[in-house]
Amino acid sequence: MDAATLTYDTLRFEYEDFPETKEPVWILGRKYSVLTEKEEILLDVTSRLWFTYRKNFPAIGGTGPTSDTGWGCMLRCGQMIFAQALVCRHLGRDWRWMKGKKQTDNYYNVLNAFIDKKDSYYSIHQIAQMGVGEGKSIGQWYGPNTVAQVLKKLATFDTWSSLAVHIAMDNTVVMEEIRRLCWFNYPCPGASAFPTAESDLLSNGYPDGAECTDRLLLWKPLVLLIPLRLGLTDINEAYIETLKHCFMMPQSLGVIGGKPNSAHYFIGYLGEELIYLDPHTTQPAVEPTDSCHIADESFHCQHPPCRMSIAELDPSIAVGFFCNTEEDFNAWCQQIKKLSLIRGALPMFELVEHQPSHFSSPDVLNLTPDSSDADRLERFFDSEDEDFEILSL
Amino acid sequence: MQQGKMHPMHTYQSIRPFKQRKSFASRMEEVIGIREKFPTKVPVIVERYQRERYLPLLDKTKFLVPQELTMTQFITIIRGRMGLGSTQAFYLLVNNKTLASMSLTLAEIYQDYKDEDGFVYMTYASQEMFGYQLATDKGKSNECLQKT
Repeated sequence: MDAATLTYDTLRFEYEDFPETKEPVWILGRKYSVLTEKEEILLDVTSRLWFTYRKNFPAIGGTGPTSDTGWGCMLRCGQMIFAQALVCRHLGRDWRWMKGKKQTDNYYNVLNAFIDKKDSYYSIHQIAQMGVGEGKSIGQWYGPNTVAQVLKKLATFDTWSSLAVHIAMDNTVVMEEIRRLCWFNYPCPGASAFPTAESDLLSNGYPDGAECTDRLLLWKPLVLLIPLRLGLTDINEAYIETLKHCFMMPQSLGVIGGKPNSAHYFIGYLGEELIYLDPHTTQPAVEPTDSCHIADESFHCQHPPCRMSIAELDPSIAVGFFCNTEEDFNAWCQQIKKLSLIRGALPMFELVEHQPSHFSSPDVLNLTPDSSDADRLERFFDSEDEDFEILSL
Repeated sequence: MQQGKMHPMHTYQSIRPFKQRKSFASRMEEVIGIREKFPTKVPVIVERYQRERYLPLLDKTKFLVPQELTMTQFITIIRGRMGLGSTQAFYLLVNNKTLASMSLTLAEIYQDYKDEDGFVYMTYASQEMFGYQLATDKGKSNECLQKT
């Protein structure tokens, strides 16, 4: 089957079944065979929370929009990647949804956190209103970073999940920053005293010193979001192998991004195609009767998931990972380090132990042009229309 | 922080890219001259992505950067010039496609990525926003919207 020609018409293509191929399907860190595990694949996909455009929900802010059709697709994708983090946190990666089956309270609590009403932790109402602080008026489009920043703020109110949300900016993940965030009650704040060797923590279960005995209990589950731009108009193909590897890691929460103008939640890949959940379907809002009885069928995608060529991916994305424990985080770091050694796979971001010098203190650098340099330059280029800006240390 | 508010009117820039404004010979000559004068500094061209809508234009295009400066330091300077908050997306792509490792020095960047004319070219951009545009992409998105 020629997949390349089909991807141009996502609508006809999206209900297509997976092709018969020996190539593995990867879904959020799990490897499946299309030939022998088709049902397991579909059950895994169906179990993800699927958030789409909705209509007839209570007006945002009391007088605002009652539907997010046309503008809410990235907000919905943000909900989907964050819901996956909450599923991992409260239900586990192995949890599966069964149509019509009564689920646990934790499941309804997760779903309830995303229902379209003003007081749900991560509702479209909360996201749109929190976005105002990011310079986005209600109804404006979001990018992957915008929604990540908003979700991080909203997570601070979700004491039930008690997540540490870290957004790695400037394509750099600083391990020390993450450990400081997750060990939220760390007794010695001095950066130099901070433990750098994770093996110390792992070798005997917990570090020496009475003040640190309960430290292992204080690791907050980590949601790591890394907003990236993998090219200007098109994705730089040197990043494609690295991107695929993100879906192979057990900590994977998938990727939010899309095709130009259309946001998607990418949950895996097969060959040269990404597998995604698409928010571009307007469904009527679901009115919860009480938090333990939500009609939940429309929150699960019950047809084969959509696929598209990786080359079609818009370069603006955010990659997500969930590390429930410090061991998960250390294992993730090890995989990222190994990944940088694979030939032909250009790292999408850099993993460093410490904050690079001057990272957060621009005043350390002399920002004013060096006057002696400028004099020399003037003499050299006195007939030039465009000057150099000379930076000095 | 204030992506939407910052420069709502500043949509598409009309300035032609540096490479199109100057001939190859004059660019090369310029690099040779400036490298002679400042042997420890790297000549860098920093331009805004033509379709960038949120980040402001820098008032300079040509930079002479100390070769021991890291990408982190360089980006910190440029972020500072634009007055960007730490949570705002900002990417500096070398040769229009690569996110250079932040721990590399400008000397290393220069070695790996310099153009034939002797400059290193970098383009900055934030992230794209996603949504349904009424004016373009009509047929396809309409179909998407009507789907239930």
